[in-house]
Amino acid sequence: MKMWTSSVLSLLGLMLGTGLSYSQAPSFSVSPSMVAPATDGKVWGGLIYASNGEVGGMDKKLLPSGLQDLSQRLAKVFSFAHFELLGHHNQDVFRQYESWVVPSRDLFLKVDSKGPAEGGGVNLHLQFWQEQQVLVKTDAMLRVDSPLFIGGPKWKDGQLIFVLMLTRQEK
Amino acid sequence: MKTPPDESQIVRWLDGEMTASERSAFEAMLTQDPELRAEIDSLSRLGETLRKNLPVERELPHADFFNSQIQVRISQEEMQSAREESRASLRQSWFSGFRLPWVLAAASAVVALVAVTFRPTEDERASFVISSYAPNPSVQARTFHSDEANATVLMLEGLTALPPDRKIVGHQVFRSETDQEVATTTLFSETGDVLLVLAKGAENRPQVIPRSPRS
Repeated sequence: MKMWTSSVLSLLGLMLGTGLSYSQAPSFSVSPSMVAPATDGKVWGGLIYASNGEVGGMDKKLLPSGLQDLSQRLAKVFSFAHFELLGHHNQDVFRQYESWVVPSRDLFLKVDSKGPAEGGGVNLHLQFWQEQQVLVKTDAMLRVDSPLFIGGPKWKDGQLIFVLMLTRQEK
Repeated sequence: MKTPPDESQIVRWLDGEMTASERSAFEAMLTQDPELRAEIDSLSRLGETLRKNLPVERELPHADFFNSQIQVRISQEEMQSAREESRASLRQSWFSGFRLPWVLAAASAVVALVAVTFRPTEDERASFVISSYAPNPSVQARTFHSDEANATVLMLEGLTALPPDRKIVGHQVFRSETDQEVATTTLFSETGDVLLVLAKGAENRPQVIPRSPRS
């Protein structure tokens, strides 16, 4: 009962306070296009097709410097012999709003920054989407050059894998 | 001259939290102050109206995810407490060991050695997954760190396989522009061509629209 009564009083105060501050707000606006959005870092996302059959392979020029041995590292986790980079995306991690990593319209990632982590890295909330269906939501802490491999759905005679790596962190 | 009651007295009276003597004194004041009586009646009516018209209980959206996040936070706090207790206990035992001079000398040597040779381990520099939640109950999310691959792995098991004849089209995206006002993100190639546009559809679901064919 006390909480209810207090809530009523708080609600009244809030309504009055909001109206007051709104009426006193200065009238100016800033065009979003004039301000570069703040970022917490930059990520590289790649969609990989893993298979034991013949695949297209990987062009190392498209891989970030910390992932030049991506095929070998993937082979340590996924039991496939060959890995093809289907698509990739370099993306700033915006501080104030969501970022999207879309190497393919079929499988992509929504990234929300939760700010820098203690001891280095960035705390992120990730959503892994397959078209309009979210497959997994996860909270993760990414550190520079330490990739996250997401084992996705099977496809053809292999599997789709999403790789996400923080390539740069803002100081 | 009478002293008007403060807000906390009114709240305590309305909430039935006053002692018998406080209540008697307050109600005596009410009988002598019609304005105060009217104010309290008005406040009671307003509260009743709000209570009747506002839902007291609302269904929590994504309740299972919310619950899982709470459980994760509780586990993290428990682990943190356990670590702190363990450290405190370790410190205590070390300090009791330092009573012996030869232990002190040996420990000093070890500290000097560690200071020279210490390097952060791979794990301390690695990314990690804090928590995961798959909305589809038939999908299990398993996480681990592979030392061999030097990577953190989030394995999704139980996903429906994509049809083999499904064409998966990849893109090489080099930058994006987000328009907050219309909630769209435009993805560009290295040469500045528009590859895809991502917009929010029904229920805030993303919709990826490929570049319009050139006319």
